[in-house]
Amino acid sequence: MNNISYFIHLLILSLLQIVIVDNIHLGSYFYLNIYILALYILPYKMKGIPLLLSGFFLGLVMDLADNTVGIHAAASTFIVYIRPRLLQLTSTREEIDDTHGGQGLTDVRWFLKYTFVSTLLFNVVLILTEAFTFNDILISIIRIILSTFISMLFMLLYYFIGIKKV
Amino acid sequence: MKEIIKLILKYHFTIIFILLEIVSFSLIIRHNEYQRAIFSESAATLFGNISSTITSIKDYFRLKEMNESLAKENILLKNRLEKYELSRDTIIHGTIIQDSIPVYEYIGAKQVNATYNRTKNYITLNRGRKSGLQKEMAVCTPEGIVGLIQDLSDHFAVVIPLINVDARISAKIKKNNYYGSLQWDGNDYSYSYLNDIPYHVEVNAGDTIVTSGLSKIFPEGIVVGYVESVDKETANFLKIKVKLAVDFKRINHVYVILNNNKNEQTSLEAINYYE
Repeated sequence: MNNISYFIHLLILSLLQIVIVDNIHLGSYFYLNIYILALYILPYKMKGIPLLLSGFFLGLVMDLADNTVGIHAAASTFIVYIRPRLLQLTSTREEIDDTHGGQGLTDVRWFLKYTFVSTLLFNVVLILTEAFTFNDILISIIRIILSTFISMLFMLLYYFIGIKKV
Repeated sequence: MKEIIKLILKYHFTIIFILLEIVSFSLIIRHNEYQRAIFSESAATLFGNISSTITSIKDYFRLKEMNESLAKENILLKNRLEKYELSRDTIIHGTIIQDSIPVYEYIGAKQVNATYNRTKNYITLNRGRKSGLQKEMAVCTPEGIVGLIQDLSDHFAVVIPLINVDARISAKIKKNNYYGSLQWDGNDYSYSYLNDIPYHVEVNAGDTIVTSGLSKIFPEGIVVGYVESVDKETANFLKIKVKLAVDFKRINHVYVILNNNKNEQTSLEAINYYE
């Protein structure tokens, strides 16, 4: 995947999130976020400060759209922070050496593994930050699980329609 | 130093991550009502404890100064007492009827919170309605006046000090009794401005400005400050820069002044002035 197609994906995902997904109301247990897929498909070689800043600002834009200033930014910064380690854990050495990140995306099993862990952690941070308390932790846990599930579903849909064939 | 830089470079990813998270959380607390409510609730408890500890430590270091100022005031009061006893002795056989209630009573209080770098500054005192405080009572320190009480709860009072742009008090030049209104310009917490003094009045730097006693709130003659400079700003009035007697950054103990005759005076004036 080259830079231009990456930006197209970023744009489509952001617009989908803001225009459509933010307006889908599935009840308070389902917090649907697909824009984080744009962070998952970032090139491998992107590291350090640019990586962190892209996570932060993408989250901030979503916050502004969703009127929840800071919550998405905190969660998305967190998942780009753990991204290098997570990539190391979920991939074999050869895949990491492959500097062009797009190639890893064709491996569905790897993609599922990485996306699931990352989305789960994203929702942990997002929902605990939103709740801002450890009271009613059970409700928060149910929300985390259901939100991860629904977000994964939509992201896989996008993955098979938009990315897999590229 | 080299090691520190090395360490920062090594962990810059984590450090920047933490910084960004701090930014996020400060945004959350700033812009989201719910999170702010929870945060301020727990923060108030925490910082309340911290600030009261810090205050007690600070108090300890300022004991000497406080002692000196108290001693000074003691002397002043003793002198005043002496004077009154003298005058009582001389009129002991006269027919003057002593009022059983003194006109002004003093209630001690301590500052627990204050601002001094805004345009609308406020001071919080640790005494409230339960200690007999009421709205619009005067607050002063041994050095001079601080302000007046704007609002109260059972145990706390909020004072609107001279260094609040909304505060206007009536003050006069001690040596010739010309009075004007003192108003702060919102700039420097140690200076205020006395307006409405006619052009022809002679004022020099160093002259004492005291309360006029016209507002019923402040007793007459409490020091407000000292003239710093005099400007002939408009055609008819002077603009007098006053160095305030009270250092608002160092207030600790204050007196709240209760005027026992205020209601009586107000109601009498209400009948006669505004018919």
